[in-house]
Amino acid sequence: MKRFFNRLSKILVPDPQVDSVSESPKSKKEPQKQSEEKSASRPQLPPICFFFAAHQPNRLKAYDFFDIGNDPFYEDDELNQSLLDEACETCYLPANQLFTELIEEGAGQFQLSLSVSGVLLEQLEHFRPDVLASFQKLHATGGVEIVAETYYHSMNFRSSKTEFSEQVAKQMAKIQEVFGVQPKAFRHTACVYYNALATCVEDLGFESMLAEAVAFPLAGREANRLYRSPNCKELKTHLRNGILSDDLAFRFGDRDWTEHPLTAQKFVQWCQGSGGEVINLFMDYECLGQHQGAETGIFEFFRALPQAWQELAGNFLTVSKVAAALEVAGEYDCHEPTSWAYLDKDLSAWGGNAMQGEAHRKILLIEDTVKTKNNPELLHQWRKMQTAEHFYYMSTKDGEVAAFHERLRPYPSAYDAYLYFMNALSDLQIRLDEE
Amino acid sequence: MWNLHIIEDKGTMKVLMLGWEFPPLINGGLGIACLGLGRAMAQQVELSFILPKVDPSFLVEQLELIGLNDLNERSVDREGVEKSLADFTNVKWIEGEVTQRLFPYQSEEVERAPGHREMDQYRVERDKKALAGEKIIDRLKAVGLDERLAIFNDGTLYGDDVGERVWAYAQVAASLAEDMDFDIVHAHDWMTFVAGLEIKRRTGKPLVLHVHSLNYDRGGPDSRGWIYDIEREAMTVADLVIPVSRYTGSICIDHYGIDAGKVHFVHNGADPVETYRSKSPFKAGLVLFLGRLTGQKGPRFFLEIAAKVLEKNPDVVFVMAGTGEKMVELIEYGAFKDVGDRLHFTGFLNKEKVNKLLSMTDVYCMPSVSEPFGLSAIEAAQYGIPAVLSKQSGVSEVMTHARKADFWDVDLMAQHITELLGDEEAYEEAVKFSLEDQKNCTWEAASARIVELYRDQLGIHN
Repeated sequence: MKRFFNRLSKILVPDPQVDSVSESPKSKKEPQKQSEEKSASRPQLPPICFFFAAHQPNRLKAYDFFDIGNDPFYEDDELNQSLLDEACETCYLPANQLFTELIEEGAGQFQLSLSVSGVLLEQLEHFRPDVLASFQKLHATGGVEIVAETYYHSMNFRSSKTEFSEQVAKQMAKIQEVFGVQPKAFRHTACVYYNALATCVEDLGFESMLAEAVAFPLAGREANRLYRSPNCKELKTHLRNGILSDDLAFRFGDRDWTEHPLTAQKFVQWCQGSGGEVINLFMDYECLGQHQGAETGIFEFFRALPQAWQELAGNFLTVSKVAAALEVAGEYDCHEPTSWAYLDKDLSAWGGNAMQGEAHRKILLIEDTVKTKNNPELLHQWRKMQTAEHFYYMSTKDGEVAAFHERLRPYPSAYDAYLYFMNALSDLQIRLDEE
Repeated sequence: MWNLHIIEDKGTMKVLMLGWEFPPLINGGLGIACLGLGRAMAQQVELSFILPKVDPSFLVEQLELIGLNDLNERSVDREGVEKSLADFTNVKWIEGEVTQRLFPYQSEEVERAPGHREMDQYRVERDKKALAGEKIIDRLKAVGLDERLAIFNDGTLYGDDVGERVWAYAQVAASLAEDMDFDIVHAHDWMTFVAGLEIKRRTGKPLVLHVHSLNYDRGGPDSRGWIYDIEREAMTVADLVIPVSRYTGSICIDHYGIDAGKVHFVHNGADPVETYRSKSPFKAGLVLFLGRLTGQKGPRFFLEIAAKVLEKNPDVVFVMAGTGEKMVELIEYGAFKDVGDRLHFTGFLNKEKVNKLLSMTDVYCMPSVSEPFGLSAIEAAQYGIPAVLSKQSGVSEVMTHARKADFWDVDLMAQHITELLGDEEAYEEAVKFSLEDQKNCTWEAASARIVELYRDQLGIHN
């Protein structure tokens, strides 16, 4: 059913001629100008804009009641290290290698955008400096734009704007340290987007921001263009092409999928017919080699893709280059938080039940206490507990998506995830009292 | 009505107990009580226990444990049997109808006329067994019961086929009992009541039913079904009913309609334990719920009580130790009530961890909806922990100084806890009373009272 709807919406969404009547007069002029220009240069294909998000959480151990007050270490170091190694071997190393080669070969001027969470950079520094070096080598090709996010891969904007801004600043500093650049584009954890967040991101000085293309605010317009939040003056919004992105991120290796096996030739034809001015393909970096294992042929697919796209006279751009090249096509008025998660495209995977709600609320409730203690170690510990995966593991969602939660969850159930988290939180509260 | 046989003075009274749970294989409350009582009774009478399962390496001094999972090497005490048979021939039988109604699924029995023809059939069986030799397993084979033993070799005592187990236990235990010498058959809880009835029918020995828990407690006042039927029929037929508290006795009498004249409660005891205190990280106090997370134990009320206490004193910590079918629901409800960082769940705990927890606990709370006894409250008292108890519990009759409330009265429960944690003087006094109250709870006292009841109610002297 999910596949059916996705393919159906693929047919329905790309309709470049429909403009919303609700647009402001100011932005209405621009699309008109755009469509004139576009009809003049019709054979030109829209560029493909790849964005990959690399991240590994610090998973908590089975922290039980008797540990409270006795054990200040909440994380399962052994598990985290082994999963980091697995991600390095199956994804980061081979993907970095492949993309370094593709950028150097230059077919279709291949380039990509990438975010690496602060907590992952930390883990790599400690346990896999070789892999950190391979990210730096990939970046040194000049074909990679680093995109900003929150250092702790958190979801706290709605609860604390201050904490959100501090985590973004921390990530900017880390990227400066590791890659020597200052990102111009921003992507929130899980591609969360809405007007209030966009305004805040603009105030932080970013030029553009990534978002999921969601049907309601699009109101029938096509996703393959740049948009702008009604509250923003400069910030441009990149909308993820959910269908083409998920063809790679979710469906690629599915043998029951009618389009399986997906070849680069077939995929570039879909892109060719996709319309608009840019094709935004945003996904987790771990889709290469982990979510889609090497045996699915995902690496061979990416190896062949730039050449195939070049043969159709297509090219690739990074997000900021797209933002510089294109004008906004209209207003994207998104009041409620949206994300790139599954079909719901909302925050329900992280806050859909009472346990997630309470855990998230309670961890942020102690913000002021933590910050007045002036203890960097406690602050870091507290912030690591804001990482979105802790709440994702507590999800009790049913149906098709339950399998994703189960596969990623390092505990027997959502209830265990909640109990371990709350036990650790209680210990943190006691440590704060004693500090 | 039974005409009880007259016993010549044999010196020591012989009691055959029928149990279901027994340590170390099952560590539920029933198993603990059977061990405690068995150990104490074995000092006063000659005691044998027939159990569905025993661990052959687990021995109790002077107590004979016969496990249906471990019959292969066992032989019949020929001398004892003959003596028992001699007794039996002196018994005057008046046939009751009850037991047939309890076994409606055995087709051959439907055909059978009541009275002496039935006795004849047992005589035939007995002859067959006599020919088979001394080994119990051979004797069971002779009457086709050996195959019934297989059901006791797997991992569980309850499960979906508990009815099948109860019936197999009754058949085998009755057959074993025919080869044993005893004066009284004493059955613990409904799982063994069927066997008790059958043994009484075949041997004419007086039947004592020990009531640790009733369908009423587990399923609520409206609960009916075959387990309720067994309990009711067995208690109606029994010669003596021993509930573990006045509270449970009142349910036997008022709810099951059992003749009050034969219902005599005997409070459980508790084995003395070595206790210790350990440092608790919870400065505002730790309140403990210990038990299965099931409706009968009132875990939901504990959660409501916690939320009430936290309104006034947000730093008190609550812990629910145990597991059960309500666990998931309780976790989510705790999150909904916003108490997840103050109310913790431990899951199943072994004895060592339970003791660790008791050593940290400041208040013990037992909000049970219906608790025949509540041994854990005594265990907590041994650790010097003051208790807040449900009035619907047997242990509140023993812990006379403990604070009490109706299980549903979460406001009063919360008030008790808040007072104990907030008033140092009241707390010290409550600790003193807890330690005092629990001293009266011994298995020796329980055992002495039971022997007294055997004498006064059944006319059987030691």
